[in-house]
Amino acid sequence: MRLKSFFFLTAICGVVSLCAQNKQLLYDFYEIPQSLMVNPGVKTSEKWHAGIPGISGLSFQAASSGVTVNDLFANDGIDFTTKVRERVVDGMSRRDDFSVTNQIEVFNIGFRNRNRPDDYYSLGMYVETDVIVYWPKDLAILAFEGNGGANLGRSFDLGDLNLRGEMINVFHFGVNRKISNALWIGGRAKIYSSIFQFQSKGNSGSFTTTRGQDNIYRTSIAADMQLQTSGVEGFLDVLDEDTSGTGGDLADLFRKRALFGGNLGLGFDAGFSYQLNPQTTITGSILDVGFVYNSKDIMNYTLRGSASNEGLTVFLPEDVTSLNNDLWQDLVDEIEEAVPFEENESGYVSFRPVKAYGSVRYDFGQAESTFSKDCGCAVAVQESRNSDLYRNSVGGQLFMMKRPRGVQAALTGFYQRRFGRTLALKTTYTVDKYSLTNIGLGLNLQAGPINFYIMGDNLLAYRNVADSHYASLQFGFNIISWNDN
Amino acid sequence: MKGLLFRCIMAFTFVLVAFSCSEEQDFNQFDDLSITPTVASSILLVESDEDFINTVSTFGAFYSQTFNFDPFNEQFVAERLLEGVILYEIENTTSKQLNFSVEFLSEQGDPLAIDTFTIEPDPAPLVTLEVAYGPGGRNIDILRNTGAIRVTAQNLGDNTSTSSSPDPKVILRSAGDFLFRLK
Repeated sequence: MRLKSFFFLTAICGVVSLCAQNKQLLYDFYEIPQSLMVNPGVKTSEKWHAGIPGISGLSFQAASSGVTVNDLFANDGIDFTTKVRERVVDGMSRRDDFSVTNQIEVFNIGFRNRNRPDDYYSLGMYVETDVIVYWPKDLAILAFEGNGGANLGRSFDLGDLNLRGEMINVFHFGVNRKISNALWIGGRAKIYSSIFQFQSKGNSGSFTTTRGQDNIYRTSIAADMQLQTSGVEGFLDVLDEDTSGTGGDLADLFRKRALFGGNLGLGFDAGFSYQLNPQTTITGSILDVGFVYNSKDIMNYTLRGSASNEGLTVFLPEDVTSLNNDLWQDLVDEIEEAVPFEENESGYVSFRPVKAYGSVRYDFGQAESTFSKDCGCAVAVQESRNSDLYRNSVGGQLFMMKRPRGVQAALTGFYQRRFGRTLALKTTYTVDKYSLTNIGLGLNLQAGPINFYIMGDNLLAYRNVADSHYASLQFGFNIISWNDN
Repeated sequence: MKGLLFRCIMAFTFVLVAFSCSEEQDFNQFDDLSITPTVASSILLVESDEDFINTVSTFGAFYSQTFNFDPFNEQFVAERLLEGVILYEIENTTSKQLNFSVEFLSEQGDPLAIDTFTIEPDPAPLVTLEVAYGPGGRNIDILRNTGAIRVTAQNLGDNTSTSSSPDPKVILRSAGDFLFRLK
């Protein structure tokens, strides 16, 4: 029951904030320091930057590839059960998912090495929550319709249960290096401090009710399923025990776990930017290649085995001497023994969802031909023209992410317009499993040393937000310096 | 510069707010959600060959047994059980007229309901019976309060004759389709 409460809360969080982790607006938007977080090898030109703690980078993404809020809750006079049956139970496939990701940057700073001005270091900490729940179609049909009636003979696939979620605190340190006037590379090391994690994947098995060989029905189950959790029990204990309602213990536990008191892991990011010619750049990055070794506060649940039954059976004369009147309980025990639901506390390794970006960008329009001596950006000062300041860019991006059911991809076309060093706008059109009409808009404003950016996705969906399959918002404040001030 | 920053933030916010809207949503509809699966399962099988029936010299019941049977007694199940149909199939290829009775007993052993079947000797048609519980049928509380089942099989014929059918036997099959309200 406690576990149910936990997943219910997680699901609610998921709905409030649902996920694709694609940050296509931020990617290669190199005027924004946080673009280093999606490509450690992005072009950098600043001397240093400091994110304003807590608000330097906030991103929320929510997605549902199947049903929308409006599909279910529109006040359209259609019976709600009918809507759920037609649009969710029958309408969604096992590849559809509900997902949510949010990322809150606690701090993010970067500075250029005085002795090696081609190197730009960045470090920081952020908390990330990522939950994806694939629609367990067969299990939902089993719950909604049962195994009787029209479902006799149907094999329900227990492998439809597939979900993964975690909250993790990430400490990172990255190096961005300009190798030549055409090539930037970068890498970022990460230490993961897991707050909680759960996953149920690689499940298999079936549940079938058919005409029996001896009796009317034969019910068979073959299951190989597990749910692994780490860090969940601790939170549930605190929730049970915290009668003060202040949430103080919860905050303490959160803080402890976030600051290396939980399960730890390692990972890295890597990326590059390469100018094919002064106006054409290709980039690529791979993020979160890493793992967490979960050994503390583990509770795993398994259901493994196979059994068939045709009810209580009495064969005479073989069973005539049996005076056992507990056949029913024996049958229940026999099934529980053959398909035991067990708990264990074995540690396990959870892998981070690896993400990869690639892009090609073409800059055009009038380039800035003068360069401020105060710029201090040693990386570009020797260039006669500052190619960072081409007014227009157009290009395409590819995003791929490892998900429990395979790679999830998104293709983006973008146009970026710069208005000097002060203002830059980027608009994107993205196609992925959540939307074919995802138009996004990002704005970066540099007001003196103050940098502000805000980005919103799937803007057309704002015509009816409740009918959107995907929504994302990210924004942040930084202080950036290009000189010694 | 600060003014420009403020104006840009306000402009972005204005665009989002001005152009974002939503159709009217009624989240109270969730209360109307009805999830009522049908659970199908075999219940009991009693099978006896003719030789056994002939060897039981006691006139009348050649088999009688009481089984503890309380799946509907559990609170989670009892609260959600809406209706059900119990299916019986009796197949008789012996040379005897037989009688089966299935009694539903309370935990204290009091009879709550009884289903009886008289089956003609071979060649007898397959006897089927559906007994409904719930609306239009017997009181659903019979199932909820059932703690045991007593099965009795009686030989209404002789105990010497033998059917000419290969492998003569009598089979009582039973199963149930039960409707539950999960939500």
